[in-house]
Amino acid sequence: MPAQKIESPVALVIGGGIAGMQASLDIADKGFKVVLVEKEPTIGGHMAQLDKTFPTLDCSSCILTPKMVEVGSHPNIEAMTYSEVIEIQGEMGDFQITIRKKPRYVDLKKCTGCGLCAEACVQRTRIANEFDMGIGKRAAIYIPFPQAVPQKYLIDPDHCLMLTKGKCGKEPRCQKACGTHAIDFNQKEENVTIQAGAIVVATGYDQFDARLKPEYGYGRYENVLSGIEFERLCSASGPTKGSIEYNGVEPKRVVFIQCVGSRDKTVGNEYCSRVCCMYTAKQAHLVRERIPDAKITICYMDIRAFGKGYEEFYDRVQKEKIIFRRGNPSEIYKRGESLMIRGEDTLLGEPYEEETDLVVLATGLVPRQDAEQLGRMLGISHTPEGFFKEAETKETIPTSKPGVFLAGCCQSPKDIPDAVAQASGAAAMACICLAEGRS
Amino acid sequence: MKIGVYICHCGINIADHVDVEAVRDFAKDHPQVVIARDYTYMCSDPGQDLIMRDIEMERLDRIVVAACSPTMHERTFRNVISKSGLNPYFLEIANIREHCSWVHHDRTRATEKAKDLVSAAIAKAQLLEPLQAQEKSVTPSSLVIGGGIAGMQAAFDIAASGFRVVLVEKTPVLGGHVARLNRTFPYLEEAEQLIGPRIEAVLNHARIEVMPFSEVEKIDGSVGEFSAEIRRRPHYVDGEKCDRCGECLKSCPVDVIDDSNYRRNARKAVYFPSTDGPNEILLIDTEACLHFKDQSCDRCQRTCPQGAIDFTQEGRLEQVQVGTIIVATGHDIFDATKKTELGYGKYQQVITAAEFERLTASWGRTKETPRIGDTVPKAIAFVHCVGSRDKQVGNEYCSRVCCTYTAKQALWVRENIPDSEVMVFYIDVRTFGKGYEELYERAQKRGVIYKKGVPSEIFRGGDKVVLRGEDALLGQPYEKAFDLVVLATGLIPSQGAQSLKNLMKLSLSPDGFFMEVHPKLRPLDTAVDGIFLAGTCQGPKDIADTLAQAHGAASRATTTLFQGKVAIDPVIAAIDEGICSGCGICEEVCEYAALTLDPYRRLMTINTALCKGCGACNSACPAGAISLKHFKPEQIIAQVYALCMGE
Ligand SMILES: Cc1cc2nc3c(=O)[nH]c(=O)nc-3n(C[C@H](O)[C@H](O)[C@H](O)COP(=O)(O)OP(=O)(O)OC[C@H]3O[C@@H](n4cnc5c(N)ncnc54)[C@H](O)[C@@H]3O)c2cc1C
Ligand SMILES: Cc1cc2nc3c(=O)[nH]c(=O)nc-3n(C[C@H](O)[C@H](O)[C@H](O)COP(=O)(O)OP(=O)(O)OC[C@H]3O[C@@H](n4cnc5c(N)ncnc54)[C@H](O)[C@@H]3O)c2cc1C
Ligand code: SF4
Ligand code: SF4
Repeated sequence: MPAQKIESPVALVIGGGIAGMQASLDIADKGFKVVLVEKEPTIGGHMAQLDKTFPTLDCSSCILTPKMVEVGSHPNIEAMTYSEVIEIQGEMGDFQITIRKKPRYVDLKKCTGCGLCAEACVQRTRIANEFDMGIGKRAAIYIPFPQAVPQKYLIDPDHCLMLTKGKCGKEPRCQKACGTHAIDFNQKEENVTIQAGAIVVATGYDQFDARLKPEYGYGRYENVLSGIEFERLCSASGPTKGSIEYNGVEPKRVVFIQCVGSRDKTVGNEYCSRVCCMYTAKQAHLVRERIPDAKITICYMDIRAFGKGYEEFYDRVQKEKIIFRRGNPSEIYKRGESLMIRGEDTLLGEPYEEETDLVVLATGLVPRQDAEQLGRMLGISHTPEGFFKEAETKETIPTSKPGVFLAGCCQSPKDIPDAVAQASGAAAMACICLAEGRS
Repeated sequence: MKIGVYICHCGINIADHVDVEAVRDFAKDHPQVVIARDYTYMCSDPGQDLIMRDIEMERLDRIVVAACSPTMHERTFRNVISKSGLNPYFLEIANIREHCSWVHHDRTRATEKAKDLVSAAIAKAQLLEPLQAQEKSVTPSSLVIGGGIAGMQAAFDIAASGFRVVLVEKTPVLGGHVARLNRTFPYLEEAEQLIGPRIEAVLNHARIEVMPFSEVEKIDGSVGEFSAEIRRRPHYVDGEKCDRCGECLKSCPVDVIDDSNYRRNARKAVYFPSTDGPNEILLIDTEACLHFKDQSCDRCQRTCPQGAIDFTQEGRLEQVQVGTIIVATGHDIFDATKKTELGYGKYQQVITAAEFERLTASWGRTKETPRIGDTVPKAIAFVHCVGSRDKQVGNEYCSRVCCTYTAKQALWVRENIPDSEVMVFYIDVRTFGKGYEELYERAQKRGVIYKKGVPSEIFRGGDKVVLRGEDALLGQPYEKAFDLVVLATGLIPSQGAQSLKNLMKLSLSPDGFFMEVHPKLRPLDTAVDGIFLAGTCQGPKDIADTLAQAHGAASRATTTLFQGKVAIDPVIAAIDEGICSGCGICEEVCEYAALTLDPYRRLMTINTALCKGCGACNSACPAGAISLKHFKPEQIIAQVYALCMGE
């Protein structure tokens, strides 16, 4: 790599999930400045939504939130949440980046995160909470979840009466409730430009939209859930406080279906999503723990428990009276209050029909909707399925554009340990660029 | 003494289940407390300002914060009080969230408990002593152990970041297992393309010192200032003089079966350790050489036109000083003879996947027709999970690469041996990585047949071998003859892992691979500060994941080097030399090897950089000679006393 002059030893990290956070910390700890751009109002990414994590079953937020606080308070990291990169110019060593900060309508400096505004909001408990996958409700002024970083409220411009109708009663109640006068309905979008020597892309994944497999009835039957929805349902901090139920009823029969939207050419995803076998095993275990007498079935094609401690975990789950059925169902339909599942058991070589109360789909990991657009801005390409493409085979971090590196699931699906290792790797490669410039 | 007490609502997290105002008023009544406040988020900027203002205005000298767990915000509040000029250790946290509001729902009793916790914290706060964090300087270099693809990549990254690296490799050649592969999944590029440039890069980098044919014998010190002793073994060939003409090889009368090539060919007692790597120094195998046996031969020495052969060459011990260490010692391959029922070692038609890699590589190079003995194999079977997912041999784990390398090898057969019949016997097909499922698909499309159910037995049938097992999909037994069977042998911990573990006080996971300190969030760090893991020494993985880890380990290892100094936490053990009798009991319980006996003074001494402040030694010392700063007996007894008085 020829030494190029680096204008500023700053790294830009796009995406504040676990990969982006790890990359930021690794770079910042070495004394370089980091600008971390996150499009959501809080950092944390998908990991914040998980209940427990395989294979050790440690509570996801308990291990994540200290890291979020570390990122939020690191002297070398400027975390710009609710912001997006809109333009990138220049080359390694001297990228000029324009970032759009969306208005929160709440002054970050004044907000103490006390939450009185949300209590006062007339829309309180009316709006579906995205973080809880719509299972819980929130106000129009809100914080995505209690441990969000920054711990600052924001106003949802699509639901706030002031912002949509120009009027909210006699006087907006939130404004009245706020002791520090932090609410500002006149806030405007703002663009800032920064310079950076290297870029780490860590924009993660989207969950496969299970409506694309209509035969499973997702979206039609409320007791067919996606993987992340089920995580929120299990979570102690979730809408049901961790009790597994729908409409207040505890299911006595639960069926998990693997490879939904993965290894499936009919939806255009030939690849394996790498985590869903394991998260299904974990979720089945959580059901067993909370509903000891439930009948639990896992429908699978292959069980891919390949990571460290994974086979051992899978072995443990297998012993928890869980039925493993090889062969994914062809159809799910409703009979009365229950769901009927129909398919062929490929081990027994015979068709089956099973009645159940709840179906959880192991929805796969797909590229971010806006990945292509971001890729174009960055000047990097993607593989046919849409994940960002690495420059060399076997090297998963560098891209074809010098100075731009990949970390986490934006490169391809992976679990948290692999995302974290790769993120540290991206940090190393970014710091090599930055260090060359400094010396 | 002037104590300030701050009770946090944590939004509603605490306030919903604890009457924070009541706790505040309770604290106010304490004789030593001059001020007590409650606030929605003590950790927020306005909350922090409250504390800072009070310290200045009221001249407070101890602070109690009743809030969440200290793992969450102890550091935050220490920073706050030190900004106002107080010693950062004049802080005591009462955890009224995790230990109280989150676990109790009866508001009255939770409030009582919160009061108890606060009064215990006040009691301890009065006895807190000032502590000073220390710093020490860092040797700006790293040691990388293992010269496989992981170790080479990590070494290169560290050097590219501007630091010196010593790369120690046990064998005479760099490259590890990848150097012995043919083409690599999923994109089937040649292994040489991955290894060759990396070998060249580390050999030519000015900041990397490569020490092949060497082993680490001793490691002392701690993060920032490790010192290592490295045994450099002699080649008995002077690398400077030797011009690699190869005359000596012709003269040597001894033939040895080559272990490094999976015993598939012979070499001489003096030999090039690799036949295709650029990094070769000739060497003499002392176990085979007749000169070393009985001095009966010196033909090579007489033949060498350069006079490069030197039977008297001696190994040496080299000392290196480094700031951080990366372990990248890789894996070994499961010994298939342990599965006697599969006939490996008994039938020449049964080989391992690693051997198959060498065969395909040489067939590819020479363009000769693949043959096993005299026959061109037409019916070829691949058997998954040999030595993996198998509790009988003690390896419950999955080896993570064999499904995909089997797909690669099976595809190779279909593409290179016309009208071959290829069957893969599996338990599950785990082709999970980027491009792997596609490779598996491709193999199937090219006519590789997958059968669920690995054979329980392999036996001879004429000039073929017969696989017997049960087809799990059809639920029927099968018996089928093949010309060649390739066993997908798993990855096992490398032989030297155990001794290296002892040398560095690391831990191994139950599966025998090196253990990371946190399986999710710190997959590259070990429990010993300054020592990191890269590649398959931590667990089986493919080249892509190995490389990602190697870059990652380089990042972890250079952080301290970039910082140039390490902070030493002052919350560590201290020895009362007046009481210590040097019995050494504490040394045994210390997991971090922080305690050593000073033989002259017959006293234990403590390495402040190694001590983690875990407290194990305090409770072990029969004489009570060790105490943990910040958790001294009198401080803890005061807490206990306050709790009991609360009743
Ligand atoms: C149901 C389910 C359960 C799981 N359970 C486990 C488990 O138990 N254990 C485990 O190891 N793994 C588990 N996983 C996998 C785990 O979620 C991922 O490994 C991990 O979240 C990957 O982190 P990431 O940072 O790469 O991506 P993400 O978590 O997706 O984070 C990406 C971040 O980037 C932001 N972003 C996206 N686009 C932009 C943009 N254009 N500009 C700025 N910011 C952007 C996003 O808002 C987000 O914050 C599970 C996955 C699912 C679906
Ligand atoms: C048959 C087979 C086929 C494979 N095919 C593929 C493939 O197609 N694609 C793919 O991605 N992966 C493949 N793999 C996996 C690949 O081999 C590993 O990912 C890779 O070798 C890991 O590299 P490493 O550096 O971690 O370990 P290694 O390659 O084992 O290197 C470790 C190095 O450390 C040295 N060492 C060990 N102990 C010490 C010590 N105490 N002191 C000093 N040095 C020491 C060793 O001599 C060695 O040089 C295959 C594996 C096998 C078995
Ligand atoms: S990880 Fe398992 S469930 Fe997910 S796509 Fe791969 S094989 Fe299917
Ligand atoms: S990777 Fe495949 S063959 Fe190897 S142990 Fe795992 S399941 Fe068995």
